[in-house]
Amino acid sequence: MSESESIIRFSHVSMQFPDVLANDDVTLEIRKGEVFALVGENGAGKSTLMNILYGMNTPTGGTVTVKGEPIRVFSPGEAIRRGIGMVHQHFMLVPSFTVAQNIVLGTEPRRGLFTDAARTDRIVEELVSEYGLKVNARDRVEDISVGLQQRVEILKTLHRGADILILDEPTAVLTPQETDELFEVIRRMVREKQMTVIIITHKLYEVMAISDRVGVMRQGKLVGVCNTCEVNERILSSMMVGKDVLLDALERVDDHDDTVAIRVEDLYVSDNRGLPAVRGISLQVERGEVLGIAGIEGNGQSELIEAITGLRRRDRGTVEIQGVDTRGMDPGQIRALGLAHVPEDRLSTGVSAQSDITDNLVVGKERRKPFSVFGFHLNRRAMKAYAKEVFDRYDIRAAGIGTQVGSLSGGNMQKVVVAREFSFDTPVLIISQPTRGVDIGAMDFIHQQIMAKRNASCAILLVSADLDELYRLSDRLVTIYEGKITGEFRPEEIGKQEISHYMTGGGREASVDEP
Amino acid sequence: MNRERRKYFLSLAVSILLGLLIGALIMLATGHSPLEGYGALLSGAFGSRRGWGNTLYKTFQLCITGLATAIASSAGIFNVGGEGQMYLGALASSYLGARLAGVSPWIALPVCFLAAILSGALYAWIPAVLKVKLKINEVITTILMNSIAIFFCSYMANGPLKTLERGVNSGTDAIDKAFRFTRLIPGSNLSETVFYIAAISLFVWYLMSRTATGYEMRLTGQNERFSRFIGLKAGALGIGGMLISGAMCGALGMFECFALQNRFKPDFSSEFYFDGMLVAMIMRYKPLGIILMSFFFGALKMGAISMQSSTGISSELILIIQSVIIFLMAAEEGFLRRLQERRLHRQSIVKEG
Amino acid sequence: MDLSSIFNVGTLLNTFNTATIVILAGLGCLMTAQAGMMNIGIDGMMTAGAFAAAVGSWYFGSWGMGLVCALLAGLIFGLFYGVMVIRYKSDEFIIGVALNIFAVALTTFILRTVLKQSGSFHPASGAVNTLPYFSLGEIGGTAVNISVMVPLSWLLVALCAVMLYRTPAGFWLRAAGEHPDSLRSAGRNPEKMKYVGALSCGLLCGLSGAYLSLGYLSTFTENMSAERGYVAVACVIFGRSHPVFVFLAALLFGFIDAAGMRMQGLVDPTLTATFPYVGTILMMVFLALRQQAKKKAKA
Repeated sequence: MSESESIIRFSHVSMQFPDVLANDDVTLEIRKGEVFALVGENGAGKSTLMNILYGMNTPTGGTVTVKGEPIRVFSPGEAIRRGIGMVHQHFMLVPSFTVAQNIVLGTEPRRGLFTDAARTDRIVEELVSEYGLKVNARDRVEDISVGLQQRVEILKTLHRGADILILDEPTAVLTPQETDELFEVIRRMVREKQMTVIIITHKLYEVMAISDRVGVMRQGKLVGVCNTCEVNERILSSMMVGKDVLLDALERVDDHDDTVAIRVEDLYVSDNRGLPAVRGISLQVERGEVLGIAGIEGNGQSELIEAITGLRRRDRGTVEIQGVDTRGMDPGQIRALGLAHVPEDRLSTGVSAQSDITDNLVVGKERRKPFSVFGFHLNRRAMKAYAKEVFDRYDIRAAGIGTQVGSLSGGNMQKVVVAREFSFDTPVLIISQPTRGVDIGAMDFIHQQIMAKRNASCAILLVSADLDELYRLSDRLVTIYEGKITGEFRPEEIGKQEISHYMTGGGREASVDEP
Repeated sequence: MNRERRKYFLSLAVSILLGLLIGALIMLATGHSPLEGYGALLSGAFGSRRGWGNTLYKTFQLCITGLATAIASSAGIFNVGGEGQMYLGALASSYLGARLAGVSPWIALPVCFLAAILSGALYAWIPAVLKVKLKINEVITTILMNSIAIFFCSYMANGPLKTLERGVNSGTDAIDKAFRFTRLIPGSNLSETVFYIAAISLFVWYLMSRTATGYEMRLTGQNERFSRFIGLKAGALGIGGMLISGAMCGALGMFECFALQNRFKPDFSSEFYFDGMLVAMIMRYKPLGIILMSFFFGALKMGAISMQSSTGISSELILIIQSVIIFLMAAEEGFLRRLQERRLHRQSIVKEG
Repeated sequence: MDLSSIFNVGTLLNTFNTATIVILAGLGCLMTAQAGMMNIGIDGMMTAGAFAAAVGSWYFGSWGMGLVCALLAGLIFGLFYGVMVIRYKSDEFIIGVALNIFAVALTTFILRTVLKQSGSFHPASGAVNTLPYFSLGEIGGTAVNISVMVPLSWLLVALCAVMLYRTPAGFWLRAAGEHPDSLRSAGRNPEKMKYVGALSCGLLCGLSGAYLSLGYLSTFTENMSAERGYVAVACVIFGRSHPVFVFLAALLFGFIDAAGMRMQGLVDPTLTATFPYVGTILMMVFLALRQQAKKKAKA
């Protein structure tokens, strides 16, 4: 790649949100015609920086120059006029509109006062044939697959004449085949249309595969920019976390008692739209082991967990907790069998955001001694004393136990959830995405708590999108794809690359060489 | 006192002051002197024994209706239908109060009370179940059910249950004299029912803020999904809140008729429930706040009625002031957030130089 | 009494007359609903419109100015709703409920304190000029009139449908309601479209109010919307925010109301007055049950 001219320049850009400094004095140049990868952990500020470029946020400091002209008004409209297009991590598509209607949204072709439906379809067909991105113009977006929705997003930016394309975590929801296709499209756009592509990701092997240069962000700062050919994954990952990523191994005690605590037989569950999400899953978890479920999000994990814990109706099959069939039980009755649950969505499910830390820690035990007398009259002093003790033991960072939980950071909120659920001292734990959006210190702490529970012979079912986490904690792993289990492994007998093929519907034969 | 609470009190005080200020401006605009208006209001509310009596009567009425709104809201259901529940409670108890004439009050009064709270609770149960089981918006159902109940009760009082007594245009038979509540201050509406209302209010305050049940209701109202997740009976708690709310309204209906009207009359209430609901909304459904502020709004309301007769300023002014306070408090958070964002931007611009 | 006394031309005309109130208010409500806001404050906007129409028509001596005043009042209330909900992100339900109480209080206050009247507006001098109407001759011995607002409301149903589903602004409005960020990332301002929704809601509710006081009845009376604004909200829920279905739901409501009135010989009028409200609630229960059954069938 030649040293070509710079097309975008960030100089001293800062973004201060009311509660967090998301970008801290970032200076960065992007060159015309390159694929630039921006990497960093969750919350490092990558998406914020790109949202500024696309005009979704107005920076609180610094300037952004595009094609030699500084941006004065930050708005997506302005970005579009300057030829910038963005494919967001959460797609910006209107579900009830058709593919074509979404592509032309904001710039609908008109006939008089009205939209011109025929020309809309024609425009989309032309785009499809020009770029080879096949979609059906008349399909409703809510009915098509995630991979196709991403195509619609890319077509949308192309329709608006973008020559700078920002892709935010584009492969998070794609199968390997779809990822390969996407990368092919990116290469073709750069080669044939001289486009500039910025790709946000945290998958380092993708950085190596697609990018010309790579920038690493950490805690809002840009900590380095390198030519991809001059670095390797190990260097990048240590730049991302600021120290060597290797966490100390967790202590494992192995006196595993083989009582089955969770048994799922031939389970079928539907999603919110009534479509099958879990399609005949059977599994069991014994006391003193962690069973990890590996899969790409949206393959039935959430529905599986909700069905086991009683939050979702099941269509067919049985779930036994501690040997008791849970048919027809509500979440409270299932919990009473000895189950606790750390849910994937802590803000909407795991806490009452408007309540304070005390209330969130005590709930579930409010009818027990010493928190209430006769299970009715609350003993607020006992509640506060207990909350204070947990607050200190879990090192929750907040002004005090009277702080509203909704105002806590992700890591501290998760500590509240884990503290509450683990304090029930149940023999069965269902844990979903325990460390998503959590900083590395809190993550290590939570991992240690989980391992301690395992060593105290709890049966733990762990769902995570983070393979490192699954490998670190699990005794056994199963892969899930489209609501079915596609394989079962011991973590030491399978590599991460190979297992990700099982997660995307491939089998062992489809696997690539092992590092 | 923590920061949240201090901020809330500050915004409440500012909103009330602004509300009163807007009230004053409206008086000015309509050619009245605000000093004279508010003066008449104050002297009406506190200038006489009768005024005091009426102010206290209204205070307790706001207390019970405000808490009725609050307990259902705390459990996640917004009961706008208290008026209808009150009508049904009033009709059922008044009917029995006439039919049981001659029976010992020790038996008859509890029976009437039971009828009042049961009919109120039952009528609140319908929209509660529709909300919990079918997710039908309770604001719409309860408000429509108000109209249904009021039309139905007035049909009963003018039709099948109409008294044959002379000189009564519409209303049921008179409640037996032995069952009626005595007035505490002659000439005012203050009657011994305030003791019962005080007891009910204390009970509800205790239930809401000092018991495990109230705690569970509050968590359910704040996040229904969380409540289900943690194993609470979210639906039952919501319905329970509505049942208590409806029962309280039914009881108030009985108190009004047994103390003041002496029979059921279709016009016994002038939207009593909505007055309390407004107080509850202003106080964000906090039981203690409602109890304390009931006195303030009770004085405002009763004072306004005598202001109307002495200055000609319609007492509706108080409703205007109250809704303005609600608007201000509802917008406060968004308003402060915008200010904060703007300040952040301005700071950074200054920093850039 | 036989069925023909209930199902006849008179009932049909009454159906249209009553339904028009709800059609106009329902259109207003659905414009906010499509823009992603649940507006419970419809009733208050109607009350304000009705009051402004009657007083404007009397003050300026023309129904046209009455109409203008009603539209203006609706616009102001719509703008206010928009500022509270869109700009300051207040709770829509609290604002809606408070708006209804505020509108009734404000109109009653002005009526009593400024105009020195109570109950309803009957000026000592001058008159409230009502909207023009078409005379359809006599049916069954009574003169039958249809206000211009009746066919106008039908026209507006079509207009709203075309605007929402056939014009760019309609696409933007719906996108602003369903997924505001998608519109923002397309370079259009979703807040602006939400304001369009709130303002057109105000206008349509103002129109509904004007019809109430200058067409359906011939002057303003205190609290005259009689919860029909809530019925309109129910119709919007029942009609899933689509103008045509909302129109049909409103007609159904109008029919129940009209049939109830026809039954007054049979049943006490105070009792028949409850029919439209009972009908509306049953309508919502029916819809919810059907949706639940559909979901079960799918699973």
